[in-house]
Amino acid sequence: MKTRPIRTAMAAAAAAALALTAACSGGGDDGGKITLSVGLFGDFGFGPLYEEYSKLHPEIEFEERIAEFADHHTNLTTHLATGSGAADIEAVEVGYISQYTAQPDRFHNLLDLGAAELEGQWLDWKWQQALAKDGEALIGLGTDVGGMAMCYRRDLFEQAGLPVERDEVSALWAGSWEDYVAVGRQYSEATGGDYFFESSGNMFRAMVEQADEGVYDRDDNLVVESNPAIGEAWDLTVEAIEAGMSNRLQAWTPEWNAGFNEGTFATIICPAWMTSYIETNAPDSAGLWDIATVPGGAGNMGGSHLVLPAQGDHPEEAYAFIEWLTAPEQQLKVFESTGNFPSTPALYEDEALTGMTKAYFNDAPVGQIFTAAAQAVRPQYQGPLQGDVLATIGQGLGRIEDGSQTPDEAWSQVLGDLESF
Amino acid sequence: MTRPGLAVPPAPASGAAVPRRSDRTLPGRSDRRARSRMRALREQPGRLVYLTLVAVLFFSGFPLYYSFVVASRDNSALAQVPPPVLPGANLVENVERVFATVPFGTALWNSVVVSASVTASVVFFSTLAGFAFAKLEFKGAKVLLVTVVATMMVPVQLGVIPLFMLMIELEWTDTLWAVVAPGLVSAFGVFFMTQYLRGALPGSLIESARMDGASTFRIFWQIVMPAARPAAVVLGVLTFLTSWNDYFWPLIVLSSPERQTVQVALSTLSGGYVTDQSLVLTGTMLATLPLLAVFALLGKYMISGIMQGAVKG
Amino acid sequence: MTIAAKRTGPARTADPTGRSSPAGRRFQHLRYRLDLKASPYLYIAPFFALFAAFGLFPLAYTAWVSTHEWSLLSDEHVFVAFGNYQALLSDPYFWNALGNTMSILLLATVPQLLAALLLAHLLTLRLRGQTFWRMGMLLPNVASVVAVAVIFSQLFGRDFGLVNWVLESLGAGRIDWQSGSATSHIAIAVMVAWKWTGYNALIFLAAMQAVPRDVYEAAHLDGASRMQQLFHVTVPMIRPTIVFTVIVSTIYGLQIFAEPQLFGGGGPNGVTGGASRQFQTLTLYLYEHGFNRGFEFGYASAVAWTMFLVIVVVALLNYLFIRRIRSDS
Repeated sequence: MKTRPIRTAMAAAAAAALALTAACSGGGDDGGKITLSVGLFGDFGFGPLYEEYSKLHPEIEFEERIAEFADHHTNLTTHLATGSGAADIEAVEVGYISQYTAQPDRFHNLLDLGAAELEGQWLDWKWQQALAKDGEALIGLGTDVGGMAMCYRRDLFEQAGLPVERDEVSALWAGSWEDYVAVGRQYSEATGGDYFFESSGNMFRAMVEQADEGVYDRDDNLVVESNPAIGEAWDLTVEAIEAGMSNRLQAWTPEWNAGFNEGTFATIICPAWMTSYIETNAPDSAGLWDIATVPGGAGNMGGSHLVLPAQGDHPEEAYAFIEWLTAPEQQLKVFESTGNFPSTPALYEDEALTGMTKAYFNDAPVGQIFTAAAQAVRPQYQGPLQGDVLATIGQGLGRIEDGSQTPDEAWSQVLGDLESF
Repeated sequence: MTRPGLAVPPAPASGAAVPRRSDRTLPGRSDRRARSRMRALREQPGRLVYLTLVAVLFFSGFPLYYSFVVASRDNSALAQVPPPVLPGANLVENVERVFATVPFGTALWNSVVVSASVTASVVFFSTLAGFAFAKLEFKGAKVLLVTVVATMMVPVQLGVIPLFMLMIELEWTDTLWAVVAPGLVSAFGVFFMTQYLRGALPGSLIESARMDGASTFRIFWQIVMPAARPAAVVLGVLTFLTSWNDYFWPLIVLSSPERQTVQVALSTLSGGYVTDQSLVLTGTMLATLPLLAVFALLGKYMISGIMQGAVKG
Repeated sequence: MTIAAKRTGPARTADPTGRSSPAGRRFQHLRYRLDLKASPYLYIAPFFALFAAFGLFPLAYTAWVSTHEWSLLSDEHVFVAFGNYQALLSDPYFWNALGNTMSILLLATVPQLLAALLLAHLLTLRLRGQTFWRMGMLLPNVASVVAVAVIFSQLFGRDFGLVNWVLESLGAGRIDWQSGSATSHIAIAVMVAWKWTGYNALIFLAAMQAVPRDVYEAAHLDGASRMQQLFHVTVPMIRPTIVFTVIVSTIYGLQIFAEPQLFGGGGPNGVTGGASRQFQTLTLYLYEHGFNRGFEFGYASAVAWTMFLVIVVVALLNYLFIRRIRSDS
């Protein structure tokens, strides 16, 4: 009796070793069916669309692989470099797309697969983002875009004696970001120091996304130091930090998640995809959040493309699927289920899209708001390390927030960090 | 990743302890007398000692308990002030959601297969090599043993890319072999077994077996293996835990859902725009349950292994 | 039966005539010699063969890569000799990471081993329910590093964490654990110590139980208190165990990765260990360069090999230091 558990464990180990041999020799083809693997970060709301497509094309089956945002892109890069392991179809977020358009050989050229005729279907800048430098290769088709709006808490605005209705709120900061900061001061004073927004990095990023030129020029040179728009955005953000408006939260952390429900901050930059995030994260706050326009004009934040790594064995089938998937009809369905906003302008005239409202946000006309936002976006060139550059500047603002550096120290460290890029 | 030796957690080892083990396993008469005298010397543990131990136990168990609390509530519980300390009513729902979101059953099975294979192999090969290093004389033994120890000090993260290229050559990517193969042997395990067998295996026993005409393998099979059992349990449990909890390497080398191990499956729970912390902790808890089962089953043997000097200081 | 008779035993069965012929004996002798000579190599061969394929090859390869400007994003690899190492040594962030790693290592290891010693000392007492207490000590070991990091990050949360709630209830005020250098190091050290204290206590306990009783008896007769006994009798006696606990904790502590990464929230602050790099460890630094941004694999390989040297040096220093204590006392 005494040694039983050890023996059991050893027997189990031996059995497992056998099972391993069996498991590894398994597999094979499924009678002419093709399984397309789709690698995503998070739920893109494609589930029902796979089923629909398989009904239209019974020979195609799908396998979805979801990984965490950063892990997904790291893995994709590793798999591309080693020529193996990538899915047939992979999602790439806009912050990473330029890194991949720089190496078009590692992807199937969609222009050769039939995309050449479809150019007009997407917003022009969305199409351009996935185009290789020489314009000879297209590596991805656009899914959603992140035209920005501003989400705000009605209850908190009311407590602070500010207007509550979305048109009035939009009017508060219609002029510029300076107005937004002024409203923030008013809010802080009225509430005795409550936070106006969640993190300064987001505010800074929104301002940069609205500029004609961002952190790179068209020749992929970093222009952080020389671009006046960046300097202005930095200064205004620092002003807001020093006025105590930032809740100093880091995006995607549990504390940040909790803030949506708890109302630890009153406003947040809202690209279309953010709305569904708020809705799932703060289910108890229905009716408390509303959506106004963003100060400073239009800009894009986030959004993705679907790419076909060259190592995939079924380029035709995969292409046919993503062409269907990113067509207006399907993008509309995705918007309805997830809030990810379509990148195909044909829909912007469509009542089905423009007429859409969201009960959670006090029946805000999300279709109208985000259509206007997307149409007004002025294309901005995205450089190869776009996401990392913005993250580096965001960290500089973080150092001011937590008091470890003065704005000048933070700025010079940012510039120093960027030199190594 | 599972490069042998490094992935294994820090179990101190080596450096023969002062007493011979025979003193402990076969207490001589004089020893017994000394012990009874000793007993008279030792005071009964007071209330303070028990209180301290209860406090220690509380801190040991609380984080695990707290993850259970979060797992049994919904996401909003995390923002409650004061934070909840009692389990809520959402456990079943959360577990169902975990199973609905990721193929958790398959992942669980894959993890069992991988960890058990790795454990069986590490224990066997470590005992074999440990026996050679501890009790057999051969040229270059010292140098080779030092090599083994040195390899324990190399950071693992970077072996990933070349290892991945190797797996492509072997056409093992996205198979469980890719996760098992690098874990089949462990430098730590060899070192661990060498240290243990040095003390636990009297040289005279081997000599007399040789006199009886036993081959080296027979000595290994009939004398060394049974003698190594206490250390084998400790090494086995440690290896199983490490293999089970391995994350970085499986994430890179396994891609299709039906090949995922538990830890890789867990990573998809926190994926995407929405992070539902209660769901993540439910998954974490589910992934820990099998380990608790192993611990409940073998913990006693592991402790007695450690007490018999399996981890040699 | 004599020894000699026994020894020829197998030869007799090998010889059908029943008599041990000279040839048979020679064969027998040969086989014996072969067994004696070849067996050791045969037994260590599986380890070295598998290890060479899946352990050494990747490492040797990274050594080669570390002398190149080698990015995963490009197919061009330029030989730069020790360029990566030079760049590394002149990067203040590398030294920052080294400093953080050392600080976290000290904070995690020293209190942990002291606590383990005291705990082991308590466990040598005649306790009721010995197995129960010992199992309890080992329990945290079951949790995965990822689980530990997730749970403790929760507990150390700024706004809704349990630790801050307790602090506030005691009137001490909230702490933003993540943003400070010292506080973040403490939080990470707690994660490590929580997992390993009980385990080390049991190892110390095993060593302590092997200390001959009469040594204590003598100390007792000299009027030494239990605490004095622990530090003047027990500790010197189990020093070899302590040496190796320290060395293995060091090797592990210098490679700490998942705890700071997840504590930083997974995003950019996870990779750099906070906005000010206040808790970026060496492995995180390696990760930042190798699996992030430019995927500078060559540079990251140089980091890995430099880390190896650091680990060897620190382990050696530890060893010498503790040996010194021995000769002093």
